[in-house]
Amino acid sequence: MSVVPMTTTPIEIEPPVSLWRDAWHRLRRNKLAVFGLIIVIVLAFTALFGPYLTPYDFLSQDLNGRNLAPSLSHLFGTDDLGRDVFSRVVYGTRTAFLVAIVVTFIAVLIGVTLGALAGFFGGFLDKAVMWLTDMTMSIPNLLLVVVINASLKSPISSWMEARYLATLNPFYRETIWVDFLLVFGSMALISWPPYARLVRAQVLSIRSRPYITAAQALGLTNRIILMRYVVPNALGPLIVAVSAGLGTAMVLESAFSFLGVGVNPPTPSWGNMISDGLRVWQHYPHLLAAPAAVLGLASVAFSFLGDGLNDALNPRGAK
Amino acid sequence: MMMANDIRPVPSAASERLLDVKGLTIEIETRNGPATIVDGIDLHVGKGETLGIVGESGCGKSLTMLSMMRLLPNKIRVTKGEANFAGRDLQKMSNSELRKVRGGDVGFIFQDPMTSLNPVMRIGQQLAEPLIYHRGMSKAEARKRAGELLKLVGIPGAEDRLDAYPHELSGGMRQRVMIAIGLACNPQLLIADEPTTALDVTIQAQIVDLVKDLRDKLGMSVVWITHDLALIAGLVDRINVLYAGTVVEDAPVDALFSNPSHPYTQGLLASIPKLSDERSARLSSIGGTPPEPGRRPKGCPFAPRCPLAEAVCHERVPSLEGIGQNGAHRVACFVAQRKLEAA
Repeated sequence: MSVVPMTTTPIEIEPPVSLWRDAWHRLRRNKLAVFGLIIVIVLAFTALFGPYLTPYDFLSQDLNGRNLAPSLSHLFGTDDLGRDVFSRVVYGTRTAFLVAIVVTFIAVLIGVTLGALAGFFGGFLDKAVMWLTDMTMSIPNLLLVVVINASLKSPISSWMEARYLATLNPFYRETIWVDFLLVFGSMALISWPPYARLVRAQVLSIRSRPYITAAQALGLTNRIILMRYVVPNALGPLIVAVSAGLGTAMVLESAFSFLGVGVNPPTPSWGNMISDGLRVWQHYPHLLAAPAAVLGLASVAFSFLGDGLNDALNPRGAK
Repeated sequence: MMMANDIRPVPSAASERLLDVKGLTIEIETRNGPATIVDGIDLHVGKGETLGIVGESGCGKSLTMLSMMRLLPNKIRVTKGEANFAGRDLQKMSNSELRKVRGGDVGFIFQDPMTSLNPVMRIGQQLAEPLIYHRGMSKAEARKRAGELLKLVGIPGAEDRLDAYPHELSGGMRQRVMIAIGLACNPQLLIADEPTTALDVTIQAQIVDLVKDLRDKLGMSVVWITHDLALIAGLVDRINVLYAGTVVEDAPVDALFSNPSHPYTQGLLASIPKLSDERSARLSSIGGTPPEPGRRPKGCPFAPRCPLAEAVCHERVPSLEGIGQNGAHRVACFVAQRKLEAA
């Protein structure tokens, strides 16, 4: 038997990588995800710095230059009141992001709290939360939002108007935030159940992992175990869901504005611009094309990013 | 191998009992109603004593310890008996009192170091958690102590490792971290639940030596649960052999190896391979399988598999009776007890 000499090639020791850095490496290699990420960043930048990017005010009308085709002075042309469509799309981006972020934030907050409590404690609490989720999901989304907005918006607005006339308190003058509040509230109300279900399922599987028993054996309280051991371990899939959820929320907001139950004109929203453009699209297609294209782009970008994150954070499931 | 306790005085059997479990019965909820898994188990650990609990998979070793600390899901519960720790019944404590005992007075080391650490928390933080919670340390103090603990369990470059995540450490390292966490608050009792099963042989020996070392340094009691008799021979003072949720033999470690009295213990010892065995020799094994919970035999639970079983064994359950060592060596077997009387 001959002795094989040991090879003495120095071994490259990889520097330790955290889960997130590892995921980032995988994400960067995914072309579609990077495309999505870039679009999302550009849109977010647009939303954030909109007022500095737009050449015109989104409300200023130029009745001599109505329905102009796209040109260098009006990138996306002008609408039937002579307002610059590019500026309105940019402001629509702000609306879309504002609504999407706030709605998703509220929905995630409700969903994670209820889902984590249900999954961790089980028993009656679990049953009650699941009843609530099923009940909410069984009501058609559009119907619920339409009912809430149609039944609450005008009474609140007229009440505010009356208060303003009675007290002259400037607090009651602006009604636009009532619009937003109703949109946020009603959309969050229909958006939380998927998060609750996802988090509950995650927590159910995490609850039986040995490190949870180990944490209990350390005498830690349920609150600490839930917040520092259970929820952080459930974050991966939640991040994916949030990324996809942001896109969905944007589309939803546009849909409601399109139907006239979302953000009210003159506040620009992609949805109400599409709705306006649809009436005249045979004559002025750019009025429909501009907001529709941006909405489509945003939706696609978020879902590419979500898919990419999914593969990056769950490498075992990826091809 | 059996003279391992030459440095430390062996705690006498009469020494004060730190842990005293009496008649603990544990049931599991099944589709066909409750089934008994642990049937009135008695065991005790003296102050500074090291107890080995040995038995095959599923005999209720871990279950007894975990349910004693009420760490098991609701489906499994203690229906009878008491478990006194330092004179107080753990079963009757409120949740907040029990939390102070867990991690504070009783440290745990678990079976699988790969999954028993929180994967998304740096190990320094995981070490600091019980210190902050039980000892009321500030974050900075806890971190300093965490560094000391890592050094204590022999992790090279201890301070630099505080910011590592569990997946950056090897299995042996992780088990050392687990031990450090278990010891963080200077517990009076350390319960090690098969802490070496997931590790390879050389690391196993290191971990056993480490625990032995720390025990001698810190003077705590240890309960070491294992199915590997040979591994703990040099570590423990006394061994309890468990079968189907009852203690069948309780003996000082030397007596158990020199004079195994229960047929089950004899079978376990015979199944350890020896270097002197012929290469082609078959390993000896105990025929049959342990009874399923809910289908326990009427008499001695081991009788159906026992080569020495007699009529009485199938009828009545033997109790633990002293057969030697001034009553320190006890066995629950009619045949062994009668042999003693005859002698």
